Amino acid sequence: MAAGSSSNVNENIPVFEYKDINTKPFHVGSFRTAWLEKLKPIDYSYEDKYEENEDADFAKEMGIAPETLDELKAICRQRKKKQDYKGTLRIDKISRVDHYQDELESLAVGKRPEDPVDLVPEGEIILSINVLYPAIFERFRYVRPHMTLQMLGSHSLVDLRDAICCISDLQVFGEFSNTPDMAPDFISKDHFKSAFFYFEGVFYNDMRHPECQDMSETTIDWAKTRDFPTFHKAKMEDTRFYDLKVKVGYPYLFCHQGDCEHVVIITDIRLAHKDDCLDRKLYPLLTHKHRVMTRKCAVCHVYIGRWLTTNDPFAPNDPCLFCERCFRMLHYDKKGNKLGQFLAYPYVDPGAFN
Amino acid sequence: MPNGKAKDRFLKPLVADYEELLGRFQQTESVRFEEFTAIWRNMGFSSVFYGSLAGNEMREFCHLTLTMAFNYFLPPYSFQIRVGGLYLLYGLYHTQLASPKEKIRIALKDWEQIQKFYQDSVNSQHYDAVYIIRKLIAENAVLYTAMPQMLTFRVKKKPQHHKVCEEFRDRPERVKDLISTDMLQEVANIQGHHERLKASVLERSSIAVTQQDLPARLHSCVLEFLHWQDRHENHGDADHLVYAEEKAQQVESSNRAQLLASIKTKSYGCLAEASRSRRHRQVEMDTSISGTGYIKQAPKYHKSRAPSLKARTNKNLCGEGDEQKIQYWLLSAAEEDKTALKRQKRKHSFRW
Repeated sequence: MAAGSSSNVNENIPVFEYKDINTKPFHVGSFRTAWLEKLKPIDYSYEDKYEENEDADFAKEMGIAPETLDELKAICRQRKKKQDYKGTLRIDKISRVDHYQDELESLAVGKRPEDPVDLVPEGEIILSINVLYPAIFERFRYVRPHMTLQMLGSHSLVDLRDAICCISDLQVFGEFSNTPDMAPDFISKDHFKSAFFYFEGVFYNDMRHPECQDMSETTIDWAKTRDFPTFHKAKMEDTRFYDLKVKVGYPYLFCHQGDCEHVVIITDIRLAHKDDCLDRKLYPLLTHKHRVMTRKCAVCHVYIGRWLTTNDPFAPNDPCLFCERCFRMLHYDKKGNKLGQFLAYPYVDPGAFN
Repeated sequence: MPNGKAKDRFLKPLVADYEELLGRFQQTESVRFEEFTAIWRNMGFSSVFYGSLAGNEMREFCHLTLTMAFNYFLPPYSFQIRVGGLYLLYGLYHTQLASPKEKIRIALKDWEQIQKFYQDSVNSQHYDAVYIIRKLIAENAVLYTAMPQMLTFRVKKKPQHHKVCEEFRDRPERVKDLISTDMLQEVANIQGHHERLKASVLERSSIAVTQQDLPARLHSCVLEFLHWQDRHENHGDADHLVYAEEKAQQVESSNRAQLLASIKTKSYGCLAEASRSRRHRQVEMDTSISGTGYIKQAPKYHKSRAPSLKARTNKNLCGEGDEQKIQYWLLSAAEEDKTALKRQKRKHSFRW
């Protein structure tokens, strides 16, 4: 340990691999210890340290006379101009969109828990992770829609997985024109529970439930036949963020439902601060989420679409979106018998998480 | 509706403002906070945050100001500019209008540099810089991060690198880095070893493959270069050179001492006058600067540092259009030429 520590210290300092784009890989836990070694505990604590004692300590340490100290303080204080501004005060009206645009970010700033056990300890790492929506290029040409999560270093990858909301989890599979009342029993999230993360050549699989399969096996086997470096496997629930070796600002992969792939970028890693949300229960914290337009019924344009029909003689276009009421009214008679030949699929609106 | 993000719009003007402020600070040839605040108030720099920004842009803008200002706090800038960058950060942090305050991000890789800077300030007794660093840390103004910016893998957008302002750059110490005392020591050791081996192998050690006095000659070369550099800058401070020659053995430490001592005299040469309430306790200049044995001189007033060779070449070859004061004769100016109608701003006010 001692022999390798000098090279370790240098490895754990994140540096740019490509300037301003991403860093070289480093171990998160060691990064944290590196910072904690360099700082005094008082430097990163949450209390307001600026008191009279601090000045006295400063004077003693530097060996300067109290008069010099007073002079320093007098010079370095902030001068606040008392302006009479009420007369010329101009109130800018901000549009409602702008006003609430960053509301999500500021919602949890400075929150303290009621129970001190839930307080985020000093020196804890907070990571900001961007999870991008699956890339549908026709829809998302000019923006990169993403959700930004803040997580603590002591969380494990399963916490991240549970916090990612993707509508493909809510999709219901199957054709239900004959049995429209049975639809909600089959949510994909319950059926297909496997998922994996890919960070730096290691696949982290979710193995919590017995029906989870190791989805990364196919990729690993394929890679062995080609000219790729060997990939490793690990369990998602056993890995905390502290154990990860990642690059900051580099895209990684999260795959669930077999083929729904999200790009995951860790944008920022830092020590916790007084002004952050300090309540453990609120983490993983959603700071930014891209709003997707909800699609309404083709008939009434009022309610959100719940059914998608194809091959439908009643519908103006193929496929066509209906809300629950319009769907029943159009396709079924009063007794609930199916009218005409059509195929109906339950539809999950993409803006379900707004 | 605003066109373009805040970062793109405000980057160039901000950097121009910073360089103006730091340029003025550099001309005062001092590292005192009073000088800096005088310039700040003169320029009315707090008004950089005024102006109606769209709702959330204020936060983004404050973040941008702090990030840009932090660049001036790190090498390769000279010590004076780094102190100026520190004061700039302090001022911006306190005058910003975002609430809760946007923090200063310090990356782990820069921490060493900051510690070195702190030590330098402590050693040269620049207590105001030291006090301000401690105050910033104590006020929780600092976020300890992995990287100075949040990285979102925007490869398509060309990342804008911070262009180092040439006038603020520190004196290049490449020669000193190449030929340090350690290296000279090693060369001398190897030389001695070689001589001994030669003596033990041959009877007549008249064959000399290497130069006999290599370390001494390297040393004198370096000294000569340093003298030339000093002379070029200080326009011939003879005493300065004599002193440097006396301390011939420690090239590195003497250079450092000279730099520190020069900063010290520059800073303590122009003393802050005590305020009226403290007139009875005028600050006395401490002439007994021990440890360096530096011969005190009245600080010379230079107009500005001579531009480096790189800057001069740049100017000559990649010539930026020179801004001549074109006097317009209104009758002959083109009608579309609006500049003719504007009054030229007087650069120097009339001195009665």
